[in-house]
Amino acid sequence: MPSASPVPTWFGSVATALALSGGPASAAGDKALGEYLSSECSSCHQSSGRQVGGIPAIIGHPADQFVALMITYRDKQRDNQVMQTIAGRLSQEEIEALAAYYESLKPSR
Amino acid sequence: MKIHRRSFVMTGLTAAGTLGLGAPAVLGQAKPRVVVIGGGAGGATAARYIAKDSQGAIAVTLVEENETYQTCFHSNLFVGGFKTYEEISHRYDALTKNHGITLARARATQIDRDKKEVVLSTGQRLPYDRLVVSPGIDLKYDSVPGWSKEVEEQMPHGWKPGRQTQLIKQRLDAVPNGGTIVMIAPPNPYRCPPGPYERASMFAHVLQQAGKKDAKVIILDPKESFSKQGVFQADWEKRYGSMIEWLGPKVHDGIKSVDPKTNTVVTGFETYKDCAFVNVIPAQMAGEIARSAGLAPAGGYCAIDAATMKSTADPNIFVLGDACIAGDMPKSAFSANSQAKVAAMTIRGELTSARTFPARYVNTCWSLVAPDDTIKVGGRYEPKDGKIAATETFVSKPGESAELRKENQAENMGWYAGITADMFS
Ligand SMILES: Cc1cc2nc3c(=O)[nH]c(=O)nc-3n(C[C@H](O)[C@H](O)[C@H](O)COP(=O)(O)OP(=O)(O)OC[C@H]3O[C@@H](n4cnc5c(N)ncnc54)[C@H](O)[C@@H]3O)c2cc1C
Repeated sequence: MPSASPVPTWFGSVATALALSGGPASAAGDKALGEYLSSECSSCHQSSGRQVGGIPAIIGHPADQFVALMITYRDKQRDNQVMQTIAGRLSQEEIEALAAYYESLKPSR
Repeated sequence: MKIHRRSFVMTGLTAAGTLGLGAPAVLGQAKPRVVVIGGGAGGATAARYIAKDSQGAIAVTLVEENETYQTCFHSNLFVGGFKTYEEISHRYDALTKNHGITLARARATQIDRDKKEVVLSTGQRLPYDRLVVSPGIDLKYDSVPGWSKEVEEQMPHGWKPGRQTQLIKQRLDAVPNGGTIVMIAPPNPYRCPPGPYERASMFAHVLQQAGKKDAKVIILDPKESFSKQGVFQADWEKRYGSMIEWLGPKVHDGIKSVDPKTNTVVTGFETYKDCAFVNVIPAQMAGEIARSAGLAPAGGYCAIDAATMKSTADPNIFVLGDACIAGDMPKSAFSANSQAKVAAMTIRGELTSARTFPARYVNTCWSLVAPDDTIKVGGRYEPKDGKIAATETFVSKPGESAELRKENQAENMGWYAGITADMFS
């Protein structure tokens, strides 16, 4: 079921994530690149913005939180083999691009 | 209006010989045309991404012979009683409604590569600028002595969806306590490497739930080892004791023959008589349409360019999913879906000069071993030295916490909802 809270549980420990990554990042990512990279995310994540089963909502989050979270996966500070593997090859620019793209989307349901 | 007239004139100039076809046809040709054969994990995704991202600039026709698509993925969950048949069945209506894709409900019988046309079972010919071929697999009916298409109902495979999946469940549910199920596993390369072993897990789960504790599941494997073997076998022992027995070729000494009349399986080492249920999963090859078009050698799969998913035999054709040779990527729905996005991007780049990016691929296969106990294997991939090569991989380990396995299952269910939305919404 979709979370009523504006910050879903997936982003719950973003405060920690931000501390680990050394502060908020810029949200000025390349949206076109982000849109291409996002096609990889939509094999699991709903583009409607819903959480389904164990796959959290991915859209509408502040870009700096998104960036911080992806970096904790990339650096393997946060568990989940799938996300660690996917984030593992993303550069800072690519993470920022994804963050900018997903921040720009509005949940449709 | 101006734009239409302009494209009419330009098309008329470049295709002077076809002006006699009349204005509508010529106008129609102003848009680049993509035909996609096969509305499965590869084809439906490719059609959807090309149509969605080109926003009407490319005319996309999806050729699919069936009205509904039953996913092979999560068909083991249906067999295990975790999903209904309706939950693994999908329709194509939204692709037409939401993205303007033309659906051709027919079988593609021929690809005329010289004329760049697909011939349908209805006799219709569909011209294309780019063609995507994602027909899945065909079974090698002669790969198990004594087994054939004629007896596939007596000894079902369940490796193509629909009635075959339902037969597997019916036959499983009818196994008596003390009965023996023999599964003949396929040789590499085949659709869904962990699939047979997830299915064996579901067999044991259903037998156990029904209190049929003395039934047995024997897997006769032509391979020396299989996907996620260590973790599957550790889990089987923990969950099902000695109910599942896996025998490699050194132990069974070859599968010599099957007899569907007496439900007998003969190996070099032993004869299994009066089996309650024999599940033959034969050797496999690229779907017929890909082979007959000369995109694959006889009995084989289609070679592709790792950076684009283009057939190495024809620069106007892309082959996706189970039918292609995808290097280190397994034949999975996740892989086919990932490959489709690279093909869709490349095609848009070629036909509408859309921006393109370097290819990258990803895959994860979850396997349900018992309720809330799911294991996974996956990786990411990139073109390297002419093939799709793994750059990082992971696999579940024996003895992981129950909490992690439960999270894996929640992920598995969410992934299914995600990929089917990514294919059909
Ligand atoms: C038991 C089992 C479990 C599985 N579990 C998983 C899993 O958990 N995760 C996972 O990722 N994958 C799983 N898979 C694998 C997955 O189902 C396949 O890898 C995937 O479907 C391949 O996609 P595809 O596009 O190549 O072919 P398909 O999905 O088979 O699609 C091919 C389509 O083409 C159509 N077609 C073929 N020829 C023609 C023609 N000439 N004209 C018109 N239409 C045609 C067919 O009707 C079909 O709809 C499983 C498979 C099995 C058998």
